[in-house]
Amino acid sequence: MTAENQPWTHRFRPSCQAEVVGNERALSQFRTWVRSWEKGIPKERAAFLHGPPGVGKTSCVVALANDLNLDLLEVNASDFRTKKRLEELVGRASFQTVTITGKRRMILFDELEGVSGQQDRGGITSIRDIIKETMIPIVLIATSPGEKWQDKFRPLVDLSTLIEFSPVPFGAMVRRLRECAAELGIAVDLEVLEHLADRSQGDLRSTLNDLETVSRGKERVTIQDIGGLGERDRKDYTPDALNKMFSAKSLKEARSVISSAHIDYDTLFDWIYENLPVVLDSPRDLVRGMEALSRADIHQTRAQRTQAYRLLKYMFNEMTGGVALSKLYSTGTGLLSQVREKTATLGFPPGAFTVTESREGIEVKPVKYLGNDWRTVNNGLREVGAQWVRGGNAWLIPYFRPPQLVWRYRRTYQSRRRRNEVAAKVAERCHISSKEAVAEVIPLVKVMVDGDPGMADEITGWLDLDDKQSKWLKS
Amino acid sequence: MSSGMWAEKYRPKALDEMWNQTEIVSRLKSFVKDRNLPHLLFVGPAGTGKTTSILALARDLYGPAYQNYTLELNASDERGINVIREKVKNFARTAAIASEVQFKILIMDEADSLTSAAQHALRRTMEIYTRTCRFVLIGNYSENIIEPIQSRCSVFRFGPLGEEDAKGWIKHIADNEKLNLLPEGLEAIYEASTGDLRKATNLLQAAAATQSGEIDDVTIYSVLGRVSPGRVRELINLGLKGQFMEAREVLRGLLIDEGLAADDIIRLIYSEVLRLNIPERYKVRLSDTIGEIDYRLTQGARAEIQLSTLVAKLVIIGEEING
Ligand SMILES: Nc1ncnc2c1ncn2[C@@H]1O[C@H](COP(=O)(O)OP(=O)(O)OP(=O)(O)O)[C@@H](O)[C@H]1O
Ligand SMILES: Nc1ncnc2c1ncn2[C@@H]1O[C@H](COP(=O)(O)OP(=O)(O)OP(=O)(O)O)[C@@H](O)[C@H]1O
Ligand SMILES: [Mg+2]
Ligand SMILES: [Mg+2]
Repeated sequence: MTAENQPWTHRFRPSCQAEVVGNERALSQFRTWVRSWEKGIPKERAAFLHGPPGVGKTSCVVALANDLNLDLLEVNASDFRTKKRLEELVGRASFQTVTITGKRRMILFDELEGVSGQQDRGGITSIRDIIKETMIPIVLIATSPGEKWQDKFRPLVDLSTLIEFSPVPFGAMVRRLRECAAELGIAVDLEVLEHLADRSQGDLRSTLNDLETVSRGKERVTIQDIGGLGERDRKDYTPDALNKMFSAKSLKEARSVISSAHIDYDTLFDWIYENLPVVLDSPRDLVRGMEALSRADIHQTRAQRTQAYRLLKYMFNEMTGGVALSKLYSTGTGLLSQVREKTATLGFPPGAFTVTESREGIEVKPVKYLGNDWRTVNNGLREVGAQWVRGGNAWLIPYFRPPQLVWRYRRTYQSRRRRNEVAAKVAERCHISSKEAVAEVIPLVKVMVDGDPGMADEITGWLDLDDKQSKWLKS
Repeated sequence: MSSGMWAEKYRPKALDEMWNQTEIVSRLKSFVKDRNLPHLLFVGPAGTGKTTSILALARDLYGPAYQNYTLELNASDERGINVIREKVKNFARTAAIASEVQFKILIMDEADSLTSAAQHALRRTMEIYTRTCRFVLIGNYSENIIEPIQSRCSVFRFGPLGEEDAKGWIKHIADNEKLNLLPEGLEAIYEASTGDLRKATNLLQAAAATQSGEIDDVTIYSVLGRVSPGRVRELINLGLKGQFMEAREVLRGLLIDEGLAADDIIRLIYSEVLRLNIPERYKVRLSDTIGEIDYRLTQGARAEIQLSTLVAKLVIIGEEING
């Protein structure tokens, strides 16, 4: 393949750290750690890079390996299913500090989140064993949507220096996109770049993909060209599979969703949970359905604890059949009435929108051009899971919406980060744990700061907060 | 100089300034006099002076440079027992040379949050460094501390401060800060905080920030309505009204945006349920359900799923109550 017909994300993979934008701190932490190997084996023999997708984790490692002329052995999640396979791959490598050509080496375990921590426990254990004895730097990477992700990799986290990546800042993203477009001689309006950067939540990879799509075959790209770009996160098979599951009349039928949904069962579990209250809209069904899901959760915990994975089948039964067969009184019209209610509370006269059911979901169409009100309506409808369909000039609320958890984590990324920083400071100052600071003290401090500007300054000064942290406390 | 939070500004600096806990204070003072102390275990409810008294003891013992000879760790913030052991090792390795006291003091707060395996590891560490270091373990419940550790420590049980002392403390601060605190306001603070002086003090300061005039019970309730218990009440009420989806959004807000831990949320739910205005027998049923969910959480189940299940039960109970 020549460079020209490679996808942009590959074409523009940074070849040196200088080309990686954003995350300066993570970059320099990582560089310092790798360089510390030049003086002997450091205390932490592994570095654990984590953060949301497409922000440059893998790029940073590859780029630094280039910069320092290291030989990088990349191992992917699919390779550490079994201990034996893993040992074949890296076993000896981790003791050989240089290659035959005299290059120093480094090992990268990428996409660890693909190791689901159950069948692959053995994989994690053997990585741990390798880390304990390695003579060369070992880099671990995981994409980390939830807060509890660390628990999954506890044995590895404890042995590693943790390096956190954040979403790529808006400005840096626009700058990089512009450079890439310029290199190909395509003129892209600033407005387009900003629009793409804005909707990406800091994921530079997805933005590059979008930019590539909209500029295909063009020399100049304007805001008119960006129609038709789909929102991400749409897993096509899943809604169909869920539909079948929720209407199943037998356990066997319901259970078949496990293999037909084409997603791992943890994600499937999240989908079911997200959509359960909409489908089971009668309270009696709801409570049975939630109880089934809760039992599923418990079976899974037991399977993990005891490593007796045969117990997982009980989880599968509860989360599929247990939920589906709870449906006795529900009418399944929960979503429609929810959308109607929402639409009615947007502050428009009755008849301003038409609400209709289609094959994919419920459509809300404005009767008149909305102008500046579009944004308000969009925000309101988003809460019920709506997406604006450009060509159709309407919002679509799919019957099954993707789990909101990941999205919510991403959206609140910065503020959760500030919260943790402030909690650490409060904890230190007040001689309590961060957990207690979050639960008991910070809520009251927020009231203090909000009520009295003088006191606010005293407290933020006393806690030694920087501007961003103070702003968070005052928000 | 800015004085920040009153709970710190008024924290007693010397053992003599402590409120009540008389017997404990006099025993601690005798340790200072002897310039020696055993390993200690302080247990008791929040905000009753456990941390305060050990810091005061350290100051009395070592003088103003006490920080050079003490290390405070909070078990619930540290990443695993190995990290803790490493820190203890670094701290305890060297003797307290510059001081006339021969040992340093290591304060391990929330020691009761350590697993028993971790406590066994800690016990070994205590053994090794006894010569150069005294361990002061602090926790809310002694039941959660393994017996071998209890047997190595002098145990001090802190009781909650009585009504008179607690109110006296609040008034003491209100006077110093020249606040206009009405008796109803004082009563409301005491009721919300019982013997927890940290909570009482923070509540008073928050009230003072929102109200420059008279602070009465209404001021206090409006502050209370704005902190997590208020959100939890909203969650419960939405559940009882059958609005599961809305309740779930509030729950997600508490878990993700505010970052509350599941056990904190369940604790708040429990205490709010007891205060609900519903027939008493439903409280018993809810308590049973909460107990079940609480147990599942201790077994490592997913927080959001379990708490949502609880909300679903609220929905059904709400339906029964409303007929
Ligand atoms: N910070 C960045 N600077 C420059 N390019 C970037 C950056 N982040 C992402 N990219 C672009 O996106 C592509 C993918 O980035 P990369 O593989 O580093 O993402 P990642 O963080 O490892 O994501 P994942 O968690 O999904 O594996 C890169 O090839 C590059 O083109
Ligand atoms: N007996 C007391 N005398 C004076 N002040 C007290 C007393 N108990 C608590 N306080 C005040 O309450 C605040 C919290 O006290 P402290 O940190 O000692 O609580 P604690 O018992 O360690 O609670 P926790 O279990 O939450 O750590 C301090 O600001 C202190 O001023
Ligand atoms: Mg990657
Ligand atoms: Mg304390």
